[in-house]
Amino acid sequence: MPAVSVNHLAKSYGDTVAVHDVSFEVQKGEVFALLGPNGAGKTTTVEILEGFRTRSAGHVETLGVDPADHATQRWLRTKIGVVLQELAIEPYYSVRQVLTRNAGYYPNPRPVDEVIELIGLDEKADERIKRLSGGQQRRLDVGLGIIGNPELLFLDEPTTGLDPSGRRDTWELIRRLAGAGTTVLLTTHYMDEVEALADRVAVLFGHEIVASGTPESIGGRDLGAVTIRFRLPEGVTAGELPVPAERADDGHVAIRTEDEVQVLHDLTGWALAGGHPLQGLSVLRLSLEDIYLGLTDAGGTGPGRTEAAEGAAAVTEAGR
Amino acid sequence: MSASTAGTAGTAPTDAPVRGSFHGLRDLPLVARQVYFEQLSFWLNPIGAALTIGFSVVFIVIFESTSGHSTIGYLAHINLGQYYLPAFATYGVMAACFNILAIQLVNRREMGLLKRLRLSPLPTWMLLAAVFISTMIVAGIQIVLVLLVGRFGYDVHGPADIGPFVLTLVVGMLCFTALGVGVSTLVPNADAAGPIVSLVFFILIALSGLYFPVKPGSGLATFTNFFPIRHLITASVNSFNGIPGTSVWNDLLVIAIWGAAGVFVAMRRWEWSPKRG
Repeated sequence: MPAVSVNHLAKSYGDTVAVHDVSFEVQKGEVFALLGPNGAGKTTTVEILEGFRTRSAGHVETLGVDPADHATQRWLRTKIGVVLQELAIEPYYSVRQVLTRNAGYYPNPRPVDEVIELIGLDEKADERIKRLSGGQQRRLDVGLGIIGNPELLFLDEPTTGLDPSGRRDTWELIRRLAGAGTTVLLTTHYMDEVEALADRVAVLFGHEIVASGTPESIGGRDLGAVTIRFRLPEGVTAGELPVPAERADDGHVAIRTEDEVQVLHDLTGWALAGGHPLQGLSVLRLSLEDIYLGLTDAGGTGPGRTEAAEGAAAVTEAGR
Repeated sequence: MSASTAGTAGTAPTDAPVRGSFHGLRDLPLVARQVYFEQLSFWLNPIGAALTIGFSVVFIVIFESTSGHSTIGYLAHINLGQYYLPAFATYGVMAACFNILAIQLVNRREMGLLKRLRLSPLPTWMLLAAVFISTMIVAGIQIVLVLLVGRFGYDVHGPADIGPFVLTLVVGMLCFTALGVGVSTLVPNADAAGPIVSLVFFILIALSGLYFPVKPGSGLATFTNFFPIRHLITASVNSFNGIPGTSVWNDLLVIAIWGAAGVFVAMRRWEWSPKRG
């Protein structure tokens, strides 16, 4: 049984559509990321799964129950943890006091001191929350999400506002929670976060899911064109290369191809035969960001549109 | 963050869903615990707590000190001191249960604190019960302090009819709490909470006879009779002083109707998410 099951979910506010015909599943123990631009419906979807909002249509199960069923909501909320997109912690409590209060809501909470250590606030345990920095409050927010020892953890942009060190620490914590069996449903705008954490990812755009898969394969990322780059050997012009290449300002050349094995064979054969060094030779696939921009801006003319994004969109279309 | 063990997160098998949000007597310790944390939150802001509690005491000192030997003819010639004490006891009720509660609920909602609690296993009824009990404690402290200051500082005697007096204060707490919750749902944002709630509150308590007695039958009395504040003050003053020929029941009925209206509005308009209007 999956931890989360969403089938043809729809939610509207009057005439305004928030999500439309969204379907996906999250398996137990999996880290699943929902990507999408602001307003795509990520938070609405997550809040429906948490039982905070009701749906307009479709079928949803969280840990085997309908999250909209009031009769099982109290039970369900002992099983889930939530880190909200926006900080919301009473300013006058200390770190320890607010964790102690929330721990009392759960039948099987983590020890408060353990959570304080996990979120790295040992030195601030008795400090008033209003005196913590924004990053420290964000860590405490994560702590409140895990204090109940949840089976399923909803993380709505959990590292927003954290410095790079804080982000890495939070990632490490999420990895260890996932390693211990916690299912994680994550929304984020950070591609590196998805690549670092997610087993699978779905992209919400235009209120529906436009692609899903592993971070390595989503949108045909593993099938699309690659870019081969190297420094142009001295005394050689780009036109003399065995394959067409574009010259860059930094002395490198770039070759875009979907047949990298043949191109590399031709190129390295030419180099060996002529004694030409291929300094800095690298083979680059489209980044997740390229794929994401292609999926979410393919029909637009926004500043984020790139040639790589066009390629990603084309690959995605072909792969459907 | 620490690199220590992540513990046993999520390893417990999913047990069968338990239905219902009310678990009987097993919930009582949880209610008591939540009341403790509500009180802790209140007292951890000492300036706010002192102002809340101190306001009614400062008021009673000022008004008792300046009331002299004036008497009120239409109230069996009781002196002003005997009027102000029960009147300001109701101020404690109204300030804690209506004014402060409404502002606090708006702030909690707009800060996202209500949403966070909604997503915890704490049932709605338990949260509201704890907020209500905590509010009653604050109101009760104010009433006791006002009565003690009046009794030992200004030799004010009462209550003459203790049953009706206590009943009046309890009904007042219940109904003004309901009104406080209801009004909080009408306030669009945290910035507006203080000005809107306090302006309405302080104008009405002034017109309703808190600072000066309002003679029945006057235009002002006719106008303020429509609102619950005057009825609470009247019932409190009459029962505290045992004014002959008076009864608290009509006043309590009006207060209860307003309380029911507060419940109705709260149930129709309550939101856990920030409005940010």
